[in-house]
Amino acid sequence: MKRALTAALLVLLALPLLYAVAQLPPHGSASSPPYTHVSPRYLERGPVEAGAENVVTDVILNYRGFDTNGEVTVIFTALAAVLAVLLGVRKDAGPVAGEPRAMSPVSPVVSFVVRLLAPFVALFAIYVILNGHVSPGGGFQGGAIIGALVIVTTVIVGRSQAEALVPARARRLLQAAAPLTFVCIGIAGLLMFGDYLAFPRVADLAWLRTAWLIAIEMGIGVGGAAIIATIFWTMGDE
Amino acid sequence: MLGLLWTNIDYAASVGLFCIGLYCVITKNNLIKKFIGLNIMESAIFAFVVALGVVDGGDAPIMGAGARPPFTNPIPQALILTGIVVAVSTTALALSLIIRIYRQCGTIEADELREME
Repeated sequence: MKRALTAALLVLLALPLLYAVAQLPPHGSASSPPYTHVSPRYLERGPVEAGAENVVTDVILNYRGFDTNGEVTVIFTALAAVLAVLLGVRKDAGPVAGEPRAMSPVSPVVSFVVRLLAPFVALFAIYVILNGHVSPGGGFQGGAIIGALVIVTTVIVGRSQAEALVPARARRLLQAAAPLTFVCIGIAGLLMFGDYLAFPRVADLAWLRTAWLIAIEMGIGVGGAAIIATIFWTMGDE
Repeated sequence: MLGLLWTNIDYAASVGLFCIGLYCVITKNNLIKKFIGLNIMESAIFAFVVALGVVDGGDAPIMGAGARPPFTNPIPQALILTGIVVAVSTTALALSLIIRIYRQCGTIEADELREME
């Protein structure tokens, strides 16, 4: 009964939505409003003005730098919230805590393949982060790859060995790397060019602009990876 | 009407995906399944906005040697990059809340939780 009612409701919801999307400009047309207003300028002048050949990187790090600054703060806040929710309770407080966890042994094939591929995955992640301004990729993508690598490594070799990859003393700093790098670059822009997150505009300083873009990408990559790994470790910490 | 819908079949697919997600959120009883439904709805929105930026025959918006127009619209891609990160953050927070609920109550079925109150 509930399912039938829900299905009927969804049909009622879908019909106006389908009617609306049928009225939109044809998919892929070059004359649709989203393509004719702001993006032509970004596409035309982005690499010269913002410093990266990849226009998406120009948009997220330069034109909409504030937006991305807030976004890296959001993932850092998510980490803080996860830690606050999961670490605040005593482990034996709940009715289910203390149950022995069934650990299934990892298949030797999986273990061997992960060990074989791990260096190449790490290399690819670094390439994605450092080449984000000239090719598809960037800090978030590379950070997600490193985070996935850390998660797979944790599954294979166990948490204690995987955690040794990230030195304990630097861990807190690494988790905050993304917002910290952003704020540092922002303040450097404030001091040198008079505006928060102002990037150098003159052609002589193009190298500095590229260096700042790469620094932010590296900060986002390292910070994102540390945050993903920490969230995974915290959730697995029963 | 149907012809217009056929030209915009990419958007219509997003509407379908959105409804599938909403169906999960409403009918599923398990909190994790509900949240998977919410993630499907988010994916539908991401697919819709990215599809808005597609241009026929468009290349990736990466300039440099050998790049020639038309390029796809970079703005939806940048916005959705932001959206995906926020979606990941909410997913992490929701899953940790679900873990906490399970530790406290021993169940993550919505109706059993309601009876507990």
